Amino acid sequence: MSIEQQYRTRAKELLSAGEVKMVIGYGAGTTAERRRPLFITSPDETERLVLDSACIANLSGYLVTEGLLSDEKRVAVFLRPEGIRALNVLAAEAQLDPLQVVIIGFDLPKGELKALQGSSVDDFTALLGALKESTPDVDGRELLEKIEKMSPEERFAFWQEEFSKCIKCYACRQACPMCYCRRCIVDSNQPQWVNTSSHTLGNFEWNIVRAFHLSGRCVECGNCDRACPVNIPLRLINRKMAQEVLDSFNHFAGTSKTQEPVLASFKKDDSETFIL
Amino acid sequence: MTKILFTDKLDSCVERWRSAGMTVIGPVQRANSSVYGAVKSASELDLNLVLTDRSIKELFFPQSEPMLRYAITKAEINTDEFLPPSGPRIIFGARACDASGLAIDDPLFGWDYKDEYWFQRRNESVIVTIACTKADEFCMCTSLKLSPDSTKGSDILLRPLENNKGWQVEELTDRGREAFKSVADLLQEGSDPAAATVTVPEKFNADACAEWLKNPENFESRFWKEISARCIGCGSCTYLCPTCHCFDIQDEGGSFEGIRRKNWDSCSFALFTMHTSGHNPRSTQSARWRQRIMHKFNYFPGKFSANSCSGCGRCTRECPVDMGITETLQEISKLSQ
Ligand code: SF4
Ligand code: SF4
Ligand code: SF4
Ligand code: SF4
Ligand code: SF4
Repeated sequence: MSIEQQYRTRAKELLSAGEVKMVIGYGAGTTAERRRPLFITSPDETERLVLDSACIANLSGYLVTEGLLSDEKRVAVFLRPEGIRALNVLAAEAQLDPLQVVIIGFDLPKGELKALQGSSVDDFTALLGALKESTPDVDGRELLEKIEKMSPEERFAFWQEEFSKCIKCYACRQACPMCYCRRCIVDSNQPQWVNTSSHTLGNFEWNIVRAFHLSGRCVECGNCDRACPVNIPLRLINRKMAQEVLDSFNHFAGTSKTQEPVLASFKKDDSETFIL
Repeated sequence: MTKILFTDKLDSCVERWRSAGMTVIGPVQRANSSVYGAVKSASELDLNLVLTDRSIKELFFPQSEPMLRYAITKAEINTDEFLPPSGPRIIFGARACDASGLAIDDPLFGWDYKDEYWFQRRNESVIVTIACTKADEFCMCTSLKLSPDSTKGSDILLRPLENNKGWQVEELTDRGREAFKSVADLLQEGSDPAAATVTVPEKFNADACAEWLKNPENFESRFWKEISARCIGCGSCTYLCPTCHCFDIQDEGGSFEGIRRKNWDSCSFALFTMHTSGHNPRSTQSARWRQRIMHKFNYFPGKFSANSCSGCGRCTRECPVDMGITETLQEISKLSQ
């Protein structure tokens, strides 16, 4: 039986037994290559679930949809390791109770679909621990290396060009499972902290604020990058910040549901390389 | 006999227009994304795209536009108005859906108040549209009673030649004729056949949808919740849309000194209808999605007798969760049968 078929059966069993009220998975999209989020609430509809190498979006963000988990019922969700990390961060930041989430795990090493065993975040501790030790295989590594070699002026010019395209649609924010604030700082207008205009300053402010707010929290799922309609390589910023946080604080976001948020914690032995 | 503009003459045309003081604008690649941008030579133009990522709208209605500078002192309030930049422009290589998008928005910007920022730019721009010989699965102009060679909103329509060496020139307006007079000697009379325009299948029945949307009973239909459950409210569909025209006015700077700007806004955002009291009359994403569809296919046509959509398909092409208006209207077509 294909993994897709096995997982459809599992979804059907979970719904039939009343163990979950909803399965969040993937369905066919407008074109043959596209997949879209799908919300299944009836066992008869589980055949609509699709699982293949095109299922790359991180669906964990839907778990914090207002009211979804407030009745204490459980929801099952298709997640890759990045999605499981996101779930841990959300739990650690008290956004949800991981006991309400049944993980239907899978991975796509080299584009090949692979089933992951386990159903609750704790079942994946070893897997995530191993991920921390491995060198991530990010898209655009070459570009990142190129940027690292640039002089500050060149680097600034590179990002200025990229950010000049930003139309401030906030698709990056909306697509990110870590951007769950009911009111984002850029939506605050009394006082207005950040310029809403998409001029150079406003765009820099937005993209830098977001990069800071995601430091030590981004799970590198790539949702933001894929959502950006003007193809700004947002993954490079997040990758850079993740690396800084790992090097400075030995912190890899989303390894456990009780992990302390790095920017909200203080340890006596934190290296003090920039605050004197 | 038809006037023909051969591709190898385009560069001389660009030069001619530029030396006559016109800014020449067309589809270009900019840092991995396609936009309408100013060019110095024809070689910079990217005319093989199905469609640019960003629409033509920002050339007329920029995403952020300064309106006035204010300075408040104890004794007085000083304001300096910013006027829209002036100067003739020729936009070469628009698509029919983008050009029609401008025409769709004209009545809106000229209705109870004449928006100078829009009309000055409209009056100073020549829109040269190239009929489409290719499309993708998201194109749907024909569903909106338009076509790949629609002339709506264009000053010149160019039909690509079958041999791919140039275009047949169709002059549609005086402004178009004027701009092409200056390059008259670069055009040739000819009988080279034009390539067939691409066939774009009709995806939904806009009239049937309008009927369904008009029925007040359908306002509270469960349909809205179901169809929009995955919408993340990112607003990129509205920002990329050539016909969406919502904006917000913001003061930037301090209380005593700053700049008042007009910025794009979107009904997909929760903040769009948020009251100062904290109450939000469109408190769910499904209500916001309903607004988007209602506005485009019910309220707007009710007022201006045209759908606020030209079928470019950008809303679907770029939606991170594969929504967009096509599927919604397809489903409404089914419901209204
Ligand atoms: S910032 Fe981007 S990559 Fe990181 S968690 Fe958010 S969406 Fe995923
Ligand atoms: S998705 Fe891209 S264009 Fe939209 S706000 Fe984010 S960076 Fe800017
Ligand atoms: S329909 Fe798509 S592009 Fe539009 S707001 Fe919703 S998620 Fe964003
Ligand atoms: S609603 Fe969609 S298809 Fe219609 S004009 Fe806007 S972006 Fe294009
Ligand atoms: S659909 Fe929404 S954003 Fe677009 S014009 Fe209408 S109200 Fe404005």
